[in-house]
Amino acid sequence: MTPARSIEDARILAIDDEPANLALVETVLRREGYRHILTLGDPRKAAETHLTFRPDLVLLDLMMPSIDGYALLDNLGRLTGADDLVPIMVLTADTSIEAKRRALALGARDIVVKPFDVFEFGLRVGNLIELRLMFERRAPG
Amino acid sequence: MARGIAGWWANRPLATKGLVVVAVPLLIFLGSVAALYTISRLEARAERDVRLTIAIQNDVNEVHALLAEASSGVRGFLLTGEPRFLEPYERAEQTVPQVTGRLAQAIRDGEAAAHLARIEALAGQKREGLGLLLSARERAGRNIIGDPAIAQGLAANKLVLDALRTEIEGMQARERELLAARQQRLDTVRRNGLIATGLLTAAGLIGSLFAVFLFSSGIVARVQRLERDAVRLAQGEALEDQGRGRDEIGQLAERMIEASALLRAREKALREGEERFRLVIEGVRDYGIFALDREGHVVSWNAGAERIKGWRSEEILRRHFSVFYPGEDGHARSMRNLEDAIREGRVEDEGWRVRKDGTRFWANVVITALHDETGALRGFSKVTRDITERRRAEEALDLARQEAEQASAAKSLFLSRMSHELRTPLNAILGFAQLLELEGHRTAAKADRASIEQILRAGRHLLALIDEVLDIARIEAGKLGLAIAPTPVDAIIAEAVGLSLPEAELRGITVQRVPSAAPAVAADPRRLLQILLNLLSNAIKYNRDGGEVIIRANAGRGKVRVTVEDTGIGIDPAHASELFQPFTRLAAGAARTEGTGLGLSLSRALIEAMDGSIGHAPRAEGGEGACFWFELPIAVGVCAPLDEGEPVLPASPPSLRPITILLIEDNLANAQLIEAVVAHHLPQARLVSAMQARLGLDLARRHGPDLVLLDLHLPDRDGAWVLAELQAALPELPVILLTADAIAAQGDWEARGATAVLSKPIDVPALLAAMDRALMEPAA
Repeated sequence: MTPARSIEDARILAIDDEPANLALVETVLRREGYRHILTLGDPRKAAETHLTFRPDLVLLDLMMPSIDGYALLDNLGRLTGADDLVPIMVLTADTSIEAKRRALALGARDIVVKPFDVFEFGLRVGNLIELRLMFERRAPG
Repeated sequence: MARGIAGWWANRPLATKGLVVVAVPLLIFLGSVAALYTISRLEARAERDVRLTIAIQNDVNEVHALLAEASSGVRGFLLTGEPRFLEPYERAEQTVPQVTGRLAQAIRDGEAAAHLARIEALAGQKREGLGLLLSARERAGRNIIGDPAIAQGLAANKLVLDALRTEIEGMQARERELLAARQQRLDTVRRNGLIATGLLTAAGLIGSLFAVFLFSSGIVARVQRLERDAVRLAQGEALEDQGRGRDEIGQLAERMIEASALLRAREKALREGEERFRLVIEGVRDYGIFALDREGHVVSWNAGAERIKGWRSEEILRRHFSVFYPGEDGHARSMRNLEDAIREGRVEDEGWRVRKDGTRFWANVVITALHDETGALRGFSKVTRDITERRRAEEALDLARQEAEQASAAKSLFLSRMSHELRTPLNAILGFAQLLELEGHRTAAKADRASIEQILRAGRHLLALIDEVLDIARIEAGKLGLAIAPTPVDAIIAEAVGLSLPEAELRGITVQRVPSAAPAVAADPRRLLQILLNLLSNAIKYNRDGGEVIIRANAGRGKVRVTVEDTGIGIDPAHASELFQPFTRLAAGAARTEGTGLGLSLSRALIEAMDGSIGHAPRAEGGEGACFWFELPIAVGVCAPLDEGEPVLPASPPSLRPITILLIEDNLANAQLIEAVVAHHLPQARLVSAMQARLGLDLARRHGPDLVLLDLHLPDRDGAWVLAELQAALPELPVILLTADAIAAQGDWEARGATAVLSKPIDVPALLAAMDRALMEPAA
């Protein structure tokens, strides 16, 4: 049995092409106590980074000019094996119902609409990290 | 004459004819038998006559012989005296009378009879003479020669004998004549008999032939003709008019002629019908209608087919219909269509077909398998339409639809992008401002904290603006995604009022909801709430402090109308038309008022998207302030009153006594609970509620309620004061007191006019019981 990791040890990968938003996300998360945060401004390197960084949570902006956010969401979901669970939280400024439905259908575990309340955002991130750690404990290795 | 007989014969019934046919030969046969019998009788009589004549001759000869012998014997006796010579005489004496007697009986011929009479007389003389001789001999004895008597006797005897002989000879001669005559007659009879037999045989033969002829002409031939007629009838040919005759065969023939006429009439009608039908089919120009045989060869063709396919009837008949199918596999596809038609009974197909000139057209084809009454396949009918134009129109429509879909998709994309582009920068602004606010409590200067607050307020205002602009844009693009459902107006109003209360209370504004039983409307509940919140927010925002907002719902004309009235500064009629334009703020002092300026625009867009209407009207009764209204259609399938005239205040069920209950209670949770209890328990009741003492009193005076539920703790004056005022104004009005104060509940309230006192939290059964009692005994 590996000793249970603490929530603060969780590795969080944030992907957004908007530097200000990446900075906001990182600031909020550091304030919440997370230590392993990687921000990625170029979504084209998302898969590569995902494989090397091995995140416990992915924060993904859906609306990026250089890439189809939904395709990226689908691809990132596939990087994780069927027996593994790495939650993806979608951050989007698209408030349409279609956008939410589509993201959830493609495997997003949560959707936070921008602009977000920083408290709410922190709590939701914590929920998904807990989900990830709970999964890890039940399926070690 | 002959025709007359033939006609007569033909008219006899078959039974008569049969009788005649059998009777004719039978009668001839019987006649023949009778004739033969007669002939044989005649012949037998002639033979008997001959035999009789011969017997007579014999008898005559015998008499002569007897007498001759007796004469000889007498002479011998006379000479000899010997008695033995007397024997012939004695025999003659004995026998002659017998023989003559016999002769007398036998002879019928007159001449012979005359001879016989004379013979008899002579025989008598002879025997007498002989007797005299004998007696003379006895007297003379032996000496006879000399005796004159004897000599005389003898001579006389001799004379008699001679005479006798002469007679006998004469008689014999007569008899010979007779015999010859009779013999001749016998011969004649025999010859005639032979001739008659021959004639009868011939007659029998002829009679039989005649019977056969009758049978043949009267029955067989006509039956044969009938048979031929039956064959003709079966083949539908005309019948030959045979001689009628009224017997059974004639009647049968007549029936057959009638049947033939009937058949011909029907055939004619059928042919005419078919002809008409054929003309109709052939004349149809918009549809190609033609028939195929079992193998698929064209067997009929109409004008429409010619027009559509370009083939003339004489060119296409007997050709295989696969010539209409374009491409290498045309034959295979055409046969597949036939197989499908056989299997399914009918097959409909759409596709390209080819005309005679090789051009193509888009065809709608229906092939129907045709079966005869035994179920055997007879062929196919095929109806072809040229729907090339329709197809083009459909293609154009498809194209237009695709374009519209693309445009719609482009709009969606645009809205997403816009949402993203507008909200993304705000994320950073509001996010960091929030972080600064959190940190700022500890570190920042007061001025900085004020700045941060300004950033947050402006950012949130901008966000609200963006959301409303996007909503309007979505509605205009038809992308809002409304979830229309039967929505209870009252419940949504109650929710909106509840959400608006904090804002109202800040400025001492009363929100009064006039209860209604408005039916459910067809609306998206979330959006309806949004509209109500907008209107209430405006009504509070533009109100004076301590003002009033009244919201009510009425049903009528298939719609529910909701009005929101305020006691604010009202709308300048000159600007009323601009009310629903974006970013319009008409009210004076708008500058200090928060809001996006899009609320009414958005509300109108939402209402119109839900097939409703929205507007503004001056307040009734010339009151100050504004009145906004909107109407939404009553949900289909919801029980609602019929449309009649002007909108009316919610009608209570007609069978129940309408009751008005006034609730004066400032605690919203309690008010809602009581509303729910009243709505469930007393559906006919109209609940009027007030949150303040003075307003409650006003409402009581205005509505004249049947019952008042009064909270003892009210914001402006206490319940005791209200109770006293009510007692003064409406002494018979039952009042139920509600209080959370257990001590106050113990007071002498009933003496002061209260009907009952209930302590909070309210026990619902106790409340119901108290209400029932109060309403049952209104005067108590």
